[in-house]
Amino acid sequence: MNNQEKYNEDLLRQYIAPEKIENAPEGFTSRVMTRIRLEKMPLLVPERWIKRNLVPVIFSAVTLLLIASAFLIPESQSDSLALPVLKLIKNLKFSMPEINFSSILHLNLPSVIMYAFIGILVLTVFDRALYGIFHREK
Amino acid sequence: MDYKGDLYYIEQILAGNNNAFSFIVDRHKNKAYNLAFRICGNHEEAEELAQDSFLKAYRSLKSFKMKSSFATWLYRIVYNTTISHVRIKKKGVLSLEDFPADATDFIGNNTTEEEAEKEYRSSLVNFALQKINEEERALVSLYYYEEMSTEEISDVTGISKSNIKVKLFRARQKMLEIIEKVEKKKFIYHE
Repeated sequence: MNNQEKYNEDLLRQYIAPEKIENAPEGFTSRVMTRIRLEKMPLLVPERWIKRNLVPVIFSAVTLLLIASAFLIPESQSDSLALPVLKLIKNLKFSMPEINFSSILHLNLPSVIMYAFIGILVLTVFDRALYGIFHREK
Repeated sequence: MDYKGDLYYIEQILAGNNNAFSFIVDRHKNKAYNLAFRICGNHEEAEELAQDSFLKAYRSLKSFKMKSSFATWLYRIVYNTTISHVRIKKKGVLSLEDFPADATDFIGNNTTEEEAEKEYRSSLVNFALQKINEEERALVSLYYYEEMSTEEISDVTGISKSNIKVKLFRARQKMLEIIEKVEKKKFIYHE
């Protein structure tokens, strides 16, 4: 430190009194502790896991059931081993509206495209279900 | 009650006793508050910022390495919190006219002339502090009020020791120029 710096240092020290420290106001500690307690307190009673994840759980269960049934039940034995639910599904008579794309869009789509669309839809739902389970914000 | 050391209370908190944090707050509140006040220059904001800093310290207590000094770690949090707050909320430039010309302005009902003079000098330093930038304010505060060495200041601020010396030199010069101007104004006022 050269002479000028030393002079400046001494001069400033005449004005600055280290004992003149600004103390924290009354009740500072209790206010900090209150903020900590408030932060730790949950704002709402947490919902049960199953209730929070009801939709993805149902989707996952149904999708898994369908996949499992497709793989595990051989077609020849399906009558003897099939669950009553599967029997019910088999006996349900669906009448899907027949949409003729070719008349609307002038396209002649092969039937495999429809299967692909349904497959994509199922995968999307399945993906959303898994996302809901594993990526839920805490 | 004897203070058992920062590490003792930190271990207590990490073991689940949150109330042990109040001992740490009590121990460091004045220095943390003082640093925040010297940088931002406002009592209400300083309290808010010091509280925020303690909360940040509490939240990240798990990341604190027990080998280093807790006080230095805490001051680093106060420094960063306050500096970023002040940078966001840049204030208008204070004019010399904003400062009272005379120590008599500091005489209250129960204050002597000597006490008023001390109060005047202290306010003058605060005024000069507000005229330099926030980083320089922090350095002056840590060096003069907290009486830290340049090495300790370097730990808190992350600025190199040589750079701290240069910045402190400039800050001192700026503050003395401001003090000199105010004192000159006071002299003219009394003529």
